[in-house]
Amino acid sequence: MSARAPLKVLALHAAVLALLFAAQFALPPYHHTNVARIMVLAAYAIGYNVLLGYTGLMSLGHAMFFAAGMYGAGLPVYYLGVGAAGALGAGLAAGVVLAALFGLLALRTTGVAFLIVSLMFAQAFYLASLYFNEVTLGDQGFILSQRLAPLQAGGATLGFHEPAVKYNGALLLFAACLLVSLALRASPIGRVLIGIRENEERTRLLGYDSFRYKLLSLTISGGLAAAAGAMYALLFSYVGSTFASILFSIYPLLWTLLGGVGTTLGPLLGTGLMFYLVDLASGVTSAYLLAVGVALVLLVLWFPLGILGTVRARWLPWLP
Amino acid sequence: MAAVIPLLETESLGKRFGGLAAVNGVSLRVAEGEIRAVIGPNGAGKTTLVGMICGRLEPTSGRVRYGGRDITALRPWERLRQGIVYTFQVTSVFRGLSCYENVALPAQRRLMRGLAGRLALRESAIAERVQAALEAVGIADLAAQRADALAYGHQRLLELAMALATEPRILILDEPTQGLAEGEIERLCGLVRDIARRATVLLIEHNMPVVLALAGRVTVMDSGEIIAEGSPAEIERDPAVQRAYLGR
Repeated sequence: MSARAPLKVLALHAAVLALLFAAQFALPPYHHTNVARIMVLAAYAIGYNVLLGYTGLMSLGHAMFFAAGMYGAGLPVYYLGVGAAGALGAGLAAGVVLAALFGLLALRTTGVAFLIVSLMFAQAFYLASLYFNEVTLGDQGFILSQRLAPLQAGGATLGFHEPAVKYNGALLLFAACLLVSLALRASPIGRVLIGIRENEERTRLLGYDSFRYKLLSLTISGGLAAAAGAMYALLFSYVGSTFASILFSIYPLLWTLLGGVGTTLGPLLGTGLMFYLVDLASGVTSAYLLAVGVALVLLVLWFPLGILGTVRARWLPWLP
Repeated sequence: MAAVIPLLETESLGKRFGGLAAVNGVSLRVAEGEIRAVIGPNGAGKTTLVGMICGRLEPTSGRVRYGGRDITALRPWERLRQGIVYTFQVTSVFRGLSCYENVALPAQRRLMRGLAGRLALRESAIAERVQAALEAVGIADLAAQRADALAYGHQRLLELAMALATEPRILILDEPTQGLAEGEIERLCGLVRDIARRATVLLIEHNMPVVLALAGRVTVMDSGEIIAEGSPAEIERDPAVQRAYLGR
């Protein structure tokens, strides 16, 4: 990888986005909604992958960033009647601020200790969202559809209940997150993050203040997760504490592991496959979470590189 | 000579690990441009001493001065940016990355000045420096290889290329010939002489012929203290050194 972002890398990512854009005209309604949801969740996984895949820090607390984006966007809409753009901005800001503050405290630790600290913070966030139930409406959740003003584009009115708005809103978010992740990976900063992942002490002795880079990575990671949370609230109209629970911290880990840790496209692939696996399993049994658990165990034991990680190791070393 | 400020100076530098004084009151002065060897038996405190110079370890007493300025409180990455560069005793390359990426990380350091420098940095500028560093140590043809696929001698050369790419003003080499074959050692000696034309070299070494061939001055440590210092010829003759180290 001597050139910054080689042409074939850009072409591959453009092709994936074009394929996703074209798919909306071919997909039946059920899958149309599913793919929209997958793209938003994949954006969340991309954020997670920035921290795990490109910096080597495993978090079990990312649900708090996703939920911070969700509440950051949802509460202003619910209480103040803020519009979609303002809500997205507020959600993003909430996630970025939370991630930066969390990082200042938690990045004193690494490895398993960081994992535990992130889990504890996320649990505190989750419980707080229930404790302040009068404001957050945490346990029941709340619906935005009656309160969110539709988008005005030219002369057209675009309501968030319309499938095309959902799909393209999700695609826009996904594309933005993918490009941020790709640009970061190909930048000098991305190289430093990978150095930290591979050998932090060596990187420090090569002139890099690893704490600052890890904080930056965590802030970007939390910001992307929050953007996904905010978009999820707007497009699917629901905000609730369940999205702050431990399960939603485990999901992005699982999606990233399945698709390929430290690959730009792995999160999309992993999220899509897992989504449909859970979808199939829940049609067969109510214990569909078992599928999630079994998949996690199998991945960690026998398939640590994930799908695209394996593809890269075996056939396509240029894959970012 | 006495009036000149040394490039590097330690003043009564000490490091205790629990009850053990690994380094005890070491005052070392290294002038700009010299090749200084530090020798001594295993456990003499050589690696601990240079660890405190490059910032890996915090001293428990004493000061480190660099170009006349007190740098005792500077963190390792700040010291590197001022030109103090350390190469590891046991090679510490990024094993999972290509040689190119290994050298690109230190090479881009000098180019990353301010936010604009970080964002507008051109890969071609980095690539040029990487190529130059790999060529200097003679492994430019291995740029695309993963570091863990390299032979041990080549990993040591890669380590050296990484150090060169940071443009050191003082380069600390911690037992660079360890584990190298005869021919590789000769090549490394040539390389160190070449580097010494641009930078000061602080060389920790066990291999006496290498020390005698390269160093302008030799400092001998034993049990955490300096026991002798002088030209290679003087050191060879010094009876205290012979007792402690050369075993004669």
